[in-house]
Amino acid sequence: MSRLRDWLFTPMPLARVAWLRILVFAFVVIDVLGLHTSGWYHGWADPVWYEPLVMGKVLHLPAASVLLVQVLKWGTVAAALAALTGRAPRLLGWAVAIGWTWYQYVAFAYGKVDHDRADFVVAMALLPTVGLAHLSDRRRSEAAGFALRAVQLAAIATYFLSAWAKVRFGGWDWVNSATMVRAVVRRGTPWAQWLLEVPWTLHWFQWVLFTAELTAPVIFFLSEKWRRRVVGAWFVFHAMTYAAITIAFWPHLVMMLAFLPLEEYAAWLRARFARWRSRGAAPVAEEART
Amino acid sequence: MAVGVRDDATEEATDEVAGLGAPAKAWRTGVVVVLAVMFCLGSLVGNDHWWPFSPWRMYSTSQAATGSVWSTGIEVQTADAPGEWVPAPLTPPNVGLNRAEVEGRIPQIEADPARLGTLAASHAKLRPDAPEWTALRVVRRLIVVVDRKPTGELRTEVLAEWRAP
Repeated sequence: MSRLRDWLFTPMPLARVAWLRILVFAFVVIDVLGLHTSGWYHGWADPVWYEPLVMGKVLHLPAASVLLVQVLKWGTVAAALAALTGRAPRLLGWAVAIGWTWYQYVAFAYGKVDHDRADFVVAMALLPTVGLAHLSDRRRSEAAGFALRAVQLAAIATYFLSAWAKVRFGGWDWVNSATMVRAVVRRGTPWAQWLLEVPWTLHWFQWVLFTAELTAPVIFFLSEKWRRRVVGAWFVFHAMTYAAITIAFWPHLVMMLAFLPLEEYAAWLRARFARWRSRGAAPVAEEART
Repeated sequence: MAVGVRDDATEEATDEVAGLGAPAKAWRTGVVVVLAVMFCLGSLVGNDHWWPFSPWRMYSTSQAATGSVWSTGIEVQTADAPGEWVPAPLTPPNVGLNRAEVEGRIPQIEADPARLGTLAASHAKLRPDAPEWTALRVVRRLIVVVDRKPTGELRTEVLAEWRAP
């Protein structure tokens, strides 16, 4: 039990939380403005199509209106931009969390729930609990370790529970069904069409995917080196899915970054940039003269 | 935008560790336990209405290896060309709803085709410059699949139809 608690509160660099927050809040801006806009258009849909979810019934959330979606959209973007500064991390972080979650609710309360966005709610609710975290903070903290661990757990739970959902809704026979064929028929890209000509490819892929999802929690027992390789493999899988059926679980992809030493990558990039600037200074000055 | 960036910053972590007190650890552990229970319950017995604790059921349904894949769309008539059905995008920017949202309400639409009139109204608000829709119908296209391979056979059926009064 105490080992489990130590694991949950493993001290991790505060700078890592600071970088993850930047990625999360930048993602929120991109997501609200460009990636996931069906909530926005529900402002114009007739309330007859509104189908409140449990959350909406408990909190008495109204059907969307043009005014509501405007306030949620621009309020969330403004809060996320403010949160990017790193100031008032709890107040601004939770403001973004509420705005983004409500905006997703508006998108999902019209009959179609996307199944890839719930884990991000965990990230947004728990990242503010760390409090102030500077990009150049060299300390490690148990609060940072907890938040990162919680994000990792939520991201990996997504894989495992989606394997479980396949068993629950599709049955054990899911792996031998034509689910992927259906996906490619309905929304396959031109460069995925050959998969339909060679049906064993998609059939085989279902087995690989299901196995990978079911065994996803193993990632927590691997060495650091292999852990990063597995995260890389998941990114490759998501890139292939996007190429084939243009579906990407964007918020989930941001959460998977919680496994990576973001502050080390940032330091590396900064060092490269500094070297490039000192080396590139002369030619740039030359160019400016001409 | 990024505060605290120093040019001379080296990112090596120091040995300094900021710890958490027992109460801070206790409530955080409690939150994780509650979240874990909610997510597991949602996956075990919940449904979409439990969001964000709904089951992670993307692509979880089984599709028979031989059967038909269906795809729903809308066709409309405009005042410019009465009597001619033309396909229209069933997308949020066009009608305020997406295809899956309409697909999920087929029984309600069949019971009360007047509902389709709200799509025409939303379209008029979202696309004020486009010609007004005078009639709208929901069609379902069936694509026949045999042994996990589409045969190229296509069937179309009309599910519900609405005309402007």
